[in-house]
Amino acid sequence: MIDILTDPTQLADFLATSLRLSVPIIFAALGGVLSERSGVFNIGLEGMLLAGCFGAAVGAYFFGTPFAGVAVGMFFGLLGALILAYLSITLGVSQIVSGIAINMLMLGLTAFLSRIVFEGQANTMTLSGFKPIAIPLLSQIPVLGPVFFNQDLLVYVMYAMVAGGLWLMYRTRWGLNVRAVGENPRAVDTAGISVVGLRYACVLTSGAIAGLGGCYLVLSQIFLFSEHMSAGKGFIALAAVILGRWNPLGALLACLLFGVFDALQLRLQFANPEVPYQAFVILPYAVSILALVGLVGKPTPPAAVGIPYKREAK
Amino acid sequence: MKLNRRRFLGTTALALAAGVRILPARAATLKVAIVMPGNITDKSWSQAGYEGIERIKNELGVDTAYSEKVAQPDQAEAMADYARRGYNIVIGHGGEFQEAANHVAADFPETTFIVHNGTEVSANVATLDFAYRQFGYALGTIAGRMSKSGKAGFIGAQKIKFSTDLVESYTNAFQKATNGGEVLVAWTNDWDDIAKGKEAALNQLSQGADIVFPTMDNAAIGSLQALKEKSAWGFGLYYDAIADWPDTVLQSAIMDIKAAMFDVIKLATENKLEVKNYKFGIDKPDPAAGRLGTFHSAVPAEVVAEVEALVASMQDGSFQP
Repeated sequence: MIDILTDPTQLADFLATSLRLSVPIIFAALGGVLSERSGVFNIGLEGMLLAGCFGAAVGAYFFGTPFAGVAVGMFFGLLGALILAYLSITLGVSQIVSGIAINMLMLGLTAFLSRIVFEGQANTMTLSGFKPIAIPLLSQIPVLGPVFFNQDLLVYVMYAMVAGGLWLMYRTRWGLNVRAVGENPRAVDTAGISVVGLRYACVLTSGAIAGLGGCYLVLSQIFLFSEHMSAGKGFIALAAVILGRWNPLGALLACLLFGVFDALQLRLQFANPEVPYQAFVILPYAVSILALVGLVGKPTPPAAVGIPYKREAK
Repeated sequence: MKLNRRRFLGTTALALAAGVRILPARAATLKVAIVMPGNITDKSWSQAGYEGIERIKNELGVDTAYSEKVAQPDQAEAMADYARRGYNIVIGHGGEFQEAANHVAADFPETTFIVHNGTEVSANVATLDFAYRQFGYALGTIAGRMSKSGKAGFIGAQKIKFSTDLVESYTNAFQKATNGGEVLVAWTNDWDDIAKGKEAALNQLSQGADIVFPTMDNAAIGSLQALKEKSAWGFGLYYDAIADWPDTVLQSAIMDIKAAMFDVIKLATENKLEVKNYKFGIDKPDPAAGRLGTFHSAVPAEVVAEVEALVASMQDGSFQP
């Protein structure tokens, strides 16, 4: 346990594990931030993540290149989001119920389709994936360099998305519109901007980004598809959205916090075999709850989130 | 009226005669039902139960029925329903059915209940499980002989009897073979999370382990992949995993519930079923149900011989881990 503080290689190993455990959650959380900022709860992140996993496997399997995997994975995530958008924006169905429905649908659908598409080979194949690319100079920084700058393409895409998301959200007219539609859609409508169009754009993009998290799981980590491989990461992302206060950078930090404690608990188990393992397994969750209560204070979500917009409604 | 009465008597007699002929034939056809916790396409535990009962139907000519995805609160009702409908044997597929079986068995003394991985035998509740300790000990011995670092890993999902028996015997054997080596144990609390399975294995490797035994159904694939990437050794479970992992798997613990349940129901069709614990160890009583798989060619002949001797001593009862 103490070796991660004294031994640089162990520390680098530990941080690398933390990052790898965080990346899929970060993608999903970025999608969640975008969707909720526009006023739509995306409970279906878990399902879109899983759809992204399946799409990534399908793309890489049939076209033999991870780039095709990314394209198909994002598209499948987007399809999942299309269901949410249609149900919640167009039909005005409860966003929570639609999201849960998507999670259950994707769990069954991806399992069913993978048996047809991969004919029982899903668990044993090795798909082509991304290889780590070292960034010159930056990767030479002791300890942190190899952890953060000797990663594969999707991790760099994630960095770019956080930076791009911040810029888009707080420095552009489009970002202002998105934030406004989540706070007061009637004001946006009065200004002559389409509420429905903006929300559709945000929810669909949110699904594609969550799908990218699934692509990372398949194309950078595991190189195969397995049923229910998202294993609840989409739900952790939901908590990270709140913990990160609906801000892309905040969501990134929240996910990293979770990843660090998840990696830590794996190590604590070895060092303390006499303590029941459940005590360590809950550590990342317990820390998230404490941080939610202690650090963030009272979170204030976008004012119009969860409320379907109807122009004629009083 | 007279005719009618005569006809009535005649038909009654005929019916009785037919009934007498039919009744023994009916009793001879065994009716077996299985109640399963998951769906029959889970590629794992419940699917194995389903395939087992299908094989029993086709090869033993037994009347069968099954229920899938039976949640904990519905277990007792599902089992009682089959007993009420005249099924002679009702199987609870998984240790979690033990309490429901105990409860229902008291109301249906004519019915035999079998709990897979069960822990309690009573008047009409039999159990079927595997001698996990034999498998754990055999693999632990191989790990001890093959480890260069003197450290091995074990990854489980949850602490249930299956995994605690395996980890204890695996550790004992490893420590005996290495004169006090260390076994790193990790619990992931998830049977499906492949990414975590992979990280747990990478973690153990970075702590110096060079052989890891992953036991979390679906998620074990992630661990094996980490072992393959780092050219470390691992073990397979349930099937001869060397076929899929030719560079990684040293040996596999094959525990086939399909074959085991077939054996037990076959005994029932021969009227030899006893209400007791049926335990399947390595090659005993049936190698089709419990056995070791193929040794990797990297395992030296003297280690293979040592493990074979160990298995023989488990079979003649001179050694029980």
